Amino acid sequence: MTLNLKNTFEDVGNATLFAARFFKEVFIPPYETRQFLKQCYAIGYKSLPLVAITGFIMGLVLTLQSRPTLVKFGAESWLPGMVALSLIREIAPVITALICAGKVSSGIGAELGSMKVTEQIDAMEVSAINPYKYLVVTRILATTLMVPILVIFADAIGILGGYAGINIHGDVSFYRYITKIFQSLEFLDIIPATIKTFFFGFFIGMIGCYKGFNASNGTESVGKAANSAVVTASLTIFIIDMLAVQITDLFF
Amino acid sequence: MEKQSGYTWKLGMFVTIGLLLFILAVYFIGKQKNIFGSTFRLTSSFKTVSGLEIGNNVRFSGINIGTIDEIQLVNDSTVVVGMVIKDDVREFIKTDAKASIGSDGLMGDKVLTITPGIKSQKIVENNAQIASLSSIEMSDIMKTVKKSMDNVGVISEELAIFSHSMNNGNGALAKLIRDPGMANAMDKTLNNLEKGTKGFSENMEAAKSNFLLRGYFKKKEKEKEEKLEEAKEAKEKKEEQQEKAEKEKVKTK
Repeated sequence: MTLNLKNTFEDVGNATLFAARFFKEVFIPPYETRQFLKQCYAIGYKSLPLVAITGFIMGLVLTLQSRPTLVKFGAESWLPGMVALSLIREIAPVITALICAGKVSSGIGAELGSMKVTEQIDAMEVSAINPYKYLVVTRILATTLMVPILVIFADAIGILGGYAGINIHGDVSFYRYITKIFQSLEFLDIIPATIKTFFFGFFIGMIGCYKGFNASNGTESVGKAANSAVVTASLTIFIIDMLAVQITDLFF
Repeated sequence: MEKQSGYTWKLGMFVTIGLLLFILAVYFIGKQKNIFGSTFRLTSSFKTVSGLEIGNNVRFSGINIGTIDEIQLVNDSTVVVGMVIKDDVREFIKTDAKASIGSDGLMGDKVLTITPGIKSQKIVENNAQIASLSSIEMSDIMKTVKKSMDNVGVISEELAIFSHSMNNGNGALAKLIRDPGMANAMDKTLNNLEKGTKGFSENMEAAKSNFLLRGYFKKKEKEKEEKLEEAKEAKEKKEEQQEKAEKEKVKTK
């Protein structure tokens, strides 16, 4: 029991050191620009279809689900504003982050894990390439910058989905729908939500890399690394979300 | 390099569109809050703002033209409200415009409404102060309601006294209502009166045919007929010739 607890704390400590190392290495040249762009492409662009489909469905479903209640109160005209608010503030960031945790974090975990297991990382070190810089920094940086952009896409496509949902029952012109949404939005809705997506992105990359980088020898540990990367990243996303909302609530 | 450019343009497009969407959103929200574009300020002082908040809309002729950006308590009975308004509508707001606070829809969001004045032709200056109309407060309504309720109380009290004396008193009206004997007496009186008038009209007929009085009645009838004929003649003459009628008038004079 005590050993178990100690192991957990050691894990947390290692992860913290791992994250601290990222901040140290990210500013020191040489920069692995090409590798960074490649990761951005793989993480950002390649995840776009998945995020777009989820965003569209979330917008559509949210509209259809909240419509009966609003109709009951005679507040159907608030539907666009309400859907856009809940999408932008909460649903799009969290859902996108979870999808990225599933797709990106597990991918990074498995990739780095297998590299570790097949001793490619050691080989890199031998050939005077800093594996942390080449593999970890580029990936974490890529997720940190790409997840917010994916969330913006999810917001936009989710709003389109909401428009489709509204037009199932009624007939609203697109221009009116958009005006209605911007009427109900404030900076306070967009800015904190965007800031927290950077944290989501950072932790998705960081946890995936950490799990992969610390895979022990043996093929099964690759699967384990991928699995625990997804689980831990998803859990972390919810915890960060809770913290972010509470902090936003406190200050504004 | 060939291989690399295969994905970089896709990545570039992805990032550009994403950032563009974000910037557009920020721009439109800012536009909604009148942060961009030229604006001007107006202030107005109220006794009470009844729950108006910073960020509420300002309306002019039912159009949203700006937002409240400042609410400041000056002393215990004055609140100064500052508003930011689009510059485009400035030419329509004259110096005698008045601000009032109303509520918007059922959910009770407050709006500040600017009502145009009548006389002034002068356009408001930046940072000018415009007059305010005090909004109808619930407490004021309750005051007037209380006044009329008090009156109703007095009236109903008097009504109670009146009906009590009606039922138990010995006044004429009370007797009329309650006493059946009185009713009978009234009935009889009325019957007698009817009979009396009938007899009187018969008497009148008899008097008309009486030889002493016949002359008088005949005279009266003749006079009536003459008057009618005269009026007819006068009318005809007027229609025929105005001058003649004038001459005749002189003659009659």
